[in-house]
Amino acid sequence: MEKLAEHLWPILKQITGYIYPNEIELYWGMLIVIYPYITGLVAGAFILASLVKVFNVKELQPTYRLSLLTSLAFLIVAPLPLLAHLGHPERSLEIFLTPNKSSAMAMFGFVYAWYLMAVLLLEIWFDYRKDLIMWADKEKGLRRLIKRIITLFSTDTSERAVKFDKKAVKIITIIGIPSAFLLHGYVGFIFGSIKANPWWSSVLMPIVFLFSAIVSGIALVLLIYMVVTLVRRQELVMASLDKLANYLFFTMIVAFSLEALDFIHRLYESEESITILSQLISGKLFVSLVVIQFLLGMILPLGALAAVKLFRVPAELRRHVYFVSALLVQVGIFTTRWNVVIGGQLFSKSFRGLTAYKMTLGGMEGLLASLAFLILPFVILYILVKILPPWEKNRTP
Amino acid sequence: MNRIKGIREKIPDQVKRLLIPVVLVIAAFVVMRHFLVPSDFGKYGHYRASAIDDVISLEIKYSGHMVCDDCHDDIVEVKKMSYHRDVACEACHGPAAAHTEDPDGNKLQAPRERGYCPLCHEYLPSRPTGFPQIVSESHNPRKACISCHDAHDPKTPEAPKECKACHAEIARTKALSHHIYVSCIRCHETPEEHKVRPRDYRPEKPIRRELCGECHAKNAPAAKAIPRVDMATHGERYVCWQCHYPHLPEVD
Repeated sequence: MEKLAEHLWPILKQITGYIYPNEIELYWGMLIVIYPYITGLVAGAFILASLVKVFNVKELQPTYRLSLLTSLAFLIVAPLPLLAHLGHPERSLEIFLTPNKSSAMAMFGFVYAWYLMAVLLLEIWFDYRKDLIMWADKEKGLRRLIKRIITLFSTDTSERAVKFDKKAVKIITIIGIPSAFLLHGYVGFIFGSIKANPWWSSVLMPIVFLFSAIVSGIALVLLIYMVVTLVRRQELVMASLDKLANYLFFTMIVAFSLEALDFIHRLYESEESITILSQLISGKLFVSLVVIQFLLGMILPLGALAAVKLFRVPAELRRHVYFVSALLVQVGIFTTRWNVVIGGQLFSKSFRGLTAYKMTLGGMEGLLASLAFLILPFVILYILVKILPPWEKNRTP
Repeated sequence: MNRIKGIREKIPDQVKRLLIPVVLVIAAFVVMRHFLVPSDFGKYGHYRASAIDDVISLEIKYSGHMVCDDCHDDIVEVKKMSYHRDVACEACHGPAAAHTEDPDGNKLQAPRERGYCPLCHEYLPSRPTGFPQIVSESHNPRKACISCHDAHDPKTPEAPKECKACHAEIARTKALSHHIYVSCIRCHETPEEHKVRPRDYRPEKPIRRELCGECHAKNAPAAKAIPRVDMATHGERYVCWQCHYPHLPEVD
């Protein structure tokens, strides 16, 4: 009891107005913020990759494989924050064994499995198959064995087989786009369908989540591409970068419009929750929503990208603008997730008071664990890149 | 036979190889479902049917209030008419299944310490107005609740002298307002029985505008500082408290 009081005391001091006793402490913390952020990056990176195959955007070819691997690395990590938050990861298997069709959360297990196995792994497998066979021939020992196992000991590099691979990749990408929409639209759906919470309950939520996901995915691939090329001491393909920045700019406009529409709609509807939500925005969420998400994460990069498009800016400066804009977009989208998840729990369902979120440093829900979950995808990506180099020069003709 | 062979040859080599892990995943799913999902899962709903038997086999600890009537009908009769009629016997006396099996061997305890009754009766702003509440720190400290109150027929040992004994929240609000010196009964006509049987005899709310006008009308014989309105033109179709909150009237 004393321990509980000690834990709650700093929060109690920050409570304003009247709140119910079970609303003092937030149940969904930092890990639940990371989860939609990561799934968003998965969906966004995949949709970027699909532009090359389905819409034949040639400029993005240098980032195609990198996008796929990024998507896979983040997809592998996506469920881990949830498992860490819920505890008992061994029980997660049961949602697959006894599917509950009336639970959106349970069904997500299948969406995830479908996306991982039927979309991403298959597309990567078909795309890399011929290269892997060729690379395996040149290597020896364990490296050769790993590559042979990944190709499932396939050796057929005939023209007919390669043609089939290309066709398969295209079909999987076409199936993959709605799958990616489903993957992240679902996350928005979970929040949007909670009708008791006026901050979340909105039919626009899945589509708002989806577009912010595409924005964050494109920005992430842009950042990774720039950093990796720099580390490899290679020349950046400016045409690719410009195209990436272009897509980033246009998807940001759509994402911004959707968020503005959602905001105006709420304001015009002015339901009874509007007073507490205005207090929330002008008080506890002012820095994270107005300053970081809106001004730094949206208006500033949008303005910078627009300025680069309008004026003839030298390539060197363009690169810097792209890099800083993409970085700001990442911070902005992360705070978007923060504002949705944490913001939705900061006000009382009595609409009469606000609580506070206190994050711990250690522990499974703490800052260090959260940072680990954010770093882990990059470690996985490093390993993936080592096994499956995504560079154009490694491609076999 | 030749047709099947023809189709098999048409399927590219890599697809045949891919089919192996696909078949393995499906087989693993089927095998795991067979061994890990209980056979009676889903018989009644999305749960294991035998879970009901597990619950049934748990030791029963509560007997329900109907059983008490068999032996303690005199107390039950009193309680039935009291304010505690909806409070189950076991809410205070604890689980009684063992006691009903062996009344002499398993005696039930009544809570005698002060900490128990305030679980419901401690003052909390969110409790409904009129629900009897005390501030236990200042309410006869150290004295056991049952030394003054009969839990089976709870009544205050003496009628509350002031309204704030029960209406603490309103009293606190009013104490901060300009109406601090206006007594409650000036506006609420209250039958004397309300102090003993508050829910059966309720106080009135003002139904005449003139009541407020006694102080707030233009020509009212009251202190100059009191805000005045023209009763003939100011919200003439309404009773004053439909717009103003008299326990904390707005300033200016």
